[in-house]
Amino acid sequence: MMATPQYFELPANLTARKFIAKLSKKIDLQIANQQYSIKTFYDSFDWRLYNANKICEFNHSQHISQLSLIDKNSGQLLASEEIEQVPRFSLQFPDGLFRKNITPELEMRALLPLCQLPFESYRLNILNKDQKTVLRLQFDEYESLNNRVQLIPLKGYEKAQLKVANILQNTLKIQTSSCSVLNEALNLQGRKPKDYSSKLAIKLKPDMRADKASKQIYKHLLQAMQVNEAGTIADIDTEFLHDFRVAVRRTRAGLSQIKNTLPANVVANYAEFFAWLGQITSSTRDLDVYLLSYQHYKATLPLSLRADIEPLYEFLKLKQVHAQKELCEKLKSPKYNKQLVAWEQYLNESVPKKGKAGHANQNIKELADSRIWKVYQRVLKEGGAITEKSPAEALHDLRKTCKKLRYLMEFFQSLYPQEEIKSSIKALKGFQTVLGDFQDYEIQELSIKHFSEEMMQQNIPSNTLLAMGVLVQYLDTMKCNARNHFAEQFDLFVQTGNKSTFKQLFNKKA
Amino acid sequence: MTIIATYNIKGGVGKTSTAVNLAFLAAKNNYKTLVWDLDPQGASSYYFRVKPKVKGGSKDLIAGTRELDGLIKATDFENLDLLPADFSFRNLDLVLDERKKPTQRLKKLLAPLTKEYDIIFLDCPPNISLLSEAVFEASELLLSPIIPTTLSLRTLEQLKKYLKDNKLKHLQLLPFFSMADRRKKMHREIIETLANKHPDILQSIIPYASDIERMGWERMPLNAYINKSRSVEAYQSLWQEIKNVIA
Repeated sequence: MMATPQYFELPANLTARKFIAKLSKKIDLQIANQQYSIKTFYDSFDWRLYNANKICEFNHSQHISQLSLIDKNSGQLLASEEIEQVPRFSLQFPDGLFRKNITPELEMRALLPLCQLPFESYRLNILNKDQKTVLRLQFDEYESLNNRVQLIPLKGYEKAQLKVANILQNTLKIQTSSCSVLNEALNLQGRKPKDYSSKLAIKLKPDMRADKASKQIYKHLLQAMQVNEAGTIADIDTEFLHDFRVAVRRTRAGLSQIKNTLPANVVANYAEFFAWLGQITSSTRDLDVYLLSYQHYKATLPLSLRADIEPLYEFLKLKQVHAQKELCEKLKSPKYNKQLVAWEQYLNESVPKKGKAGHANQNIKELADSRIWKVYQRVLKEGGAITEKSPAEALHDLRKTCKKLRYLMEFFQSLYPQEEIKSSIKALKGFQTVLGDFQDYEIQELSIKHFSEEMMQQNIPSNTLLAMGVLVQYLDTMKCNARNHFAEQFDLFVQTGNKSTFKQLFNKKA
Repeated sequence: MTIIATYNIKGGVGKTSTAVNLAFLAAKNNYKTLVWDLDPQGASSYYFRVKPKVKGGSKDLIAGTRELDGLIKATDFENLDLLPADFSFRNLDLVLDERKKPTQRLKKLLAPLTKEYDIIFLDCPPNISLLSEAVFEASELLLSPIIPTTLSLRTLEQLKKYLKDNKLKHLQLLPFFSMADRRKKMHREIIETLANKHPDILQSIIPYASDIERMGWERMPLNAYINKSRSVEAYQSLWQEIKNVIA
C-alpha cells in the first residue's frame, strides 16, 4: 500500500530560501525546478466535487499546466491531466482517469473557477547515496498565505518520507496541515466552501408568527433565484435555470399553500408574477431536458438507426438557442426587474404589529401541522381513487398535490424531529418518482411527435423520422411501465409505518 | 494492459537499453509503466539507480509469499516503476522447476498488476530456459533486438522455429535491428537482405551510438539526458511502431 502525501504549514517568516538552507544541512537534496505559478480552484456552482471530498486545482505556469484532483481527506492524488485550458464539462475531458473521477459527481454541471492564488513553486528531490530520488518535496511560497510544504512519497521508499517528516516536525518545528489551501484562498475573498446548495435549509422556530415565518421562507427562495439568475442568463449550465425554476415553483406553492398569512392583494399580485416566471422559463427548460436526454434516447435505438437520429439533436439545439435568447430578454426586462425588486422590498419590510390575513398571527408550527396534514389527506384521497381505468389527468393532478405536500414538508422541516421528517420526505420522494416518470414520458412522447411534424416541413431524411418513431415507441413503453407501477408504489407510500409517522408528526391530536 | 518482453537468445544485443528507453517513452506518453528486471546482472535496476535487491529473493518471489506490488520501486520518472533484480535470480530456473506448472508462474504472479499498469516490460536474461518459457507464456509481444550479423540472423531463425514448434500463437514476435553501425558494409548489407527476407522486422533501426553507451555513466534513460539525437529519434520511432501494434 502506497503511503499518502503529508502536508505542512510553515511559520509566517519561513521563506523557501531559508527552508531549503535549513533542510539541506540535514539531508541531500536537489532543486528540480522553480517557477512562478497560478493556482486556480475549480468546482461546480453547487460544490459537487467538494461534497464528494474531492478538490480540483489547476496549476498553471509558463512551462506546464496541470489539473489535479485530490482526495480532501487523505491528500492522495486521484487523477491529474496536463492541459492548457480546463474544459467546462466532464464529457469534454479526454477519456481517462480524470474524466472517470469527476463525471459521476459533476453530471451536467459546469466546472467553474472558484478563486486564484499566485505562488512560487519549488520542486525538490530528496536523494539517497546513489543520487536516486527517494522523496519529492513541493514547496509553495504564497504572497498572502503562510507557505506550504508537501511530501510526495515514492513507491518503495516510504522510509525516506518518515525521515523527512521527522526532521520537519521535530527539528524544524513545522506543523502538519490540511491538504489544500482552498479554505484559506476562499477566506481571502470572504467566502467559504459549500456556500450554495439547492437543498432547502430554512431555520424556523415553532412559535414564530406565521406571516414572519412565511416571509422568511420566501426570502430564502428569492435568494436562490437571485444567485442562479446570472448563470441562467449566461447559460453556463442547465442547472442554473433548473434551480431558478425550482425556487419559482416553490414560491408559487408557498403562496397557494401557506394560506392566509400575507394580505390577499399581495398574494394575488405575486402569484401572477411567479406564474409568468414559470411560464417564460418552461420552454428553455424542456429543451434542456431533451438535450440532456439525447444520448440516452440515442442509446435506446437499434444500432442501425443511431446515426439517423442526429438531425433531432441539431433541431433541438437550434430551438434551445432561440428559447434561451427569448428567456434572456425577459429576464433583463423592466417587468421582471421591477417586480422582483418590489417583492424583495416587501419581504424586507417588518411585519405589522397585527397581521391582517386570517392566519397571519397564528404560530407557524400550528399552521404547518394543519396544512401538511390537510394536503397529505388529499394525496391519500386522490391516490386511493385512482384505478387501472383512471385517466392520465388523475395521475397528473395527484402529482401536483404530492409536489405541494413535498414543498410544505421541506419549508417546515426545521419544526419537526430531523430523522422522522427526513424519512417521511424520502418516502414521498420515492412515490413521486413513479408519478414524475409517467408525466415526463408522456410529455416527451407528445413532444417528439410534435417535433417530427415540424421537422417534416424541413425535409429531413426519412430514416430520421423512422428513428423518432422508434423513440416514441420506447417512450410509450416506459410510460406504460410507470403507469403499471403506480398501484404498487402508492401501496408502499400509504403503508402503515408511513401513515403512523405522518400522523405522529402532523396530527398528534387525532 | 500489455506485457512486452525484451528478449534474445544472444546476450549483449541491447535488450536492457531497449526496455529502459521504451519504458521511459511509454511513461512519458502517460502509460502507467513497469519494468521488471529479470536479469540477475540487474542492468536495468542499475540504469534507474535502484538497488538490485528483492526481499526474500527469487524463492519468495516465485512462491508468491510476497505480493509483487510490495517489491516495486518508483523510478525518478513519473508513471514509471521498476521491479528490481536480485542476484538470486541466477537460480530462477531452479526455483521455477520446483513449482507445479512452472511456465504459467510469471503470468499468475503478474495478474494482480494488470489493473495498475498499462504496460509491463520484462527485461529478460539471454538463453532459452525455463524462465524464458515462462516469459513467453506471460507476454503478448516479444521484442527482439538483432545486431545485423550472420550469427544474429541464425538466432532469429532459431527463435522463430522455437515459437512455431511450441505453438506460442498468442505471442507476437517483433524483431528489430539494434546496435546497427551504418559505417560497416556488412551491417548495411544484412539490414537490406534481412528486411526483404523477414518483412516482420520493424522499420526502426537503433544505431550503435556513444550516447546510448553513456546510459551506464548517466544511470538514466537516454531521453532523460539528451533531448534530440539520432538515437533518441530511433527509440521514438520504435516506440511509435510498438504503440501502433498495441493499438
